[in-house]
Amino acid sequence: MSIATPKRKVAIIASHGGLDEAYPSLILANAARQSGIEALLFFTFWGLDIVTESKVDHLHMNLAGNASSNMPTIIAGLPGMESLAAGMMKKQMAELDLPSVREMLQILDDSGAALYGCELAMKMFKRNKEDLVPQVKDVITAGDFFDLSEGAQIIFT
Amino acid sequence: MDAHRIPHVATVSSVDAKLDEIAKQVAYLAERQRKNEELFAEMMPIAKLVMATATTRLDAFEKQGYFAFGRELVHVGERIAQGFSPSDVQQLGDAIVSILETVRAVTQPEVLQIAAEASAAVQHVGETEPLGLIGMVRATRDDDVQKGMAVLMDLMRHVGRAASLIADKRATSPMEQKKQRLANVTGAKKKPKKPMGVERAPVAAAVPRAAAPPTCDVPARAPAVVSTVIEGVGFAADGSLVDPSSWTRELATKIAAAEGLALAPEHWKVIDFARADFAEHGASPNIRRITQTTGMATKDLYTLFPKAPARTAARIAGLPKPAGCI
Repeated sequence: MSIATPKRKVAIIASHGGLDEAYPSLILANAARQSGIEALLFFTFWGLDIVTESKVDHLHMNLAGNASSNMPTIIAGLPGMESLAAGMMKKQMAELDLPSVREMLQILDDSGAALYGCELAMKMFKRNKEDLVPQVKDVITAGDFFDLSEGAQIIFT
Repeated sequence: MDAHRIPHVATVSSVDAKLDEIAKQVAYLAERQRKNEELFAEMMPIAKLVMATATTRLDAFEKQGYFAFGRELVHVGERIAQGFSPSDVQQLGDAIVSILETVRAVTQPEVLQIAAEASAAVQHVGETEPLGLIGMVRATRDDDVQKGMAVLMDLMRHVGRAASLIADKRATSPMEQKKQRLANVTGAKKKPKKPMGVERAPVAAAVPRAAAPPTCDVPARAPAVVSTVIEGVGFAADGSLVDPSSWTRELATKIAAAEGLALAPEHWKVIDFARADFAEHGASPNIRRITQTTGMATKDLYTLFPKAPARTAARIAGLPKPAGCI
């Protein structure tokens, strides 16, 4: 009865740390797992914020320069707007019963998705493995990532 | 002149006296005439000079555009008179006190000082350096800038308050009422904003879904087409039952076996929940709904159904593929 499809695998590279930029990567990975597709997440550059213990609950949303936000850039750039927008987005997500970023990371870990931090980015931002959330399996180089993602479809966000 | 007048009836002496008087008058008049002529002669060059000066002065005025300005001013006055109705003027009269108060407030020494400071800044515009975002942020550390920001914010607050007051007033203006009436007839232009995650029609139309959490659903699918038939039971291409009523526990075991699963009580817990939830809400539960409602861990679900837990559970339970991304 099982549908005979070749084993699918996706590797998602998360390079941005905004709240609105974190969710697409996490939801994609989760959707892959729910569909029985292997998922691998690589957090690099600002994306490292998504898995950094001190930042994961305080990801902000950047409205400035975002053509889809209905707020003019000149106002969106004012101090405090990011947290305001992030607060509004979190509220909307709670209304939709969407899990928080931390919860999403736990769900991903539980579902068997593999989370990795980028070694170079870790050095750049002077972070240690202990600074990351426990769901991160390992800190690896881009080369290691390509070895792990052999045969996978790579998605860059 | 008077000298030709001859009295009709009089004595010689009286005539003499009269003549003397007349002669005096003639002499006086002649003297005055002479003086006038002298004066005139004296005045002429001066008058000429004055006239010449006046002419050149007027000419200069004309050249400088004073008269054109005056003429234009008259036009402006006419236009003002045409543009304003008497009632406007009356309103102006009513508002004159507040206008004067505003003018007085604006011309207070403090305000003028601020204006002078500001204009000084504008005058020194050539010396100022271009300022980037960082520079802007750095500038906010300056006490004066902070003070200015506070004043600006206060100003904005007042302007906003006044604007909303005006807006409130306008909202009930006859024009607005007319618009509203029109909108009622033609139907409102703007539809009310829908919240994020629009709820779609339930899969089973008869069963209300109110209690189900909103999810990013896919639209209800077309009736499943029979793709495979196993032991007389039709399956759609995605593995779901074509006729959900043909589901039995025995069939579930067989589907599970085909998936490579031997159903344990834990599996049955999930399958029974999925069927009950579907019966209640008309949608197959996704992983999040199963974990949130039954309290099972996500991890356990993936252990029970290693490949796509919610989908596999739904398939075994004879339900359509669950929707939702979480």
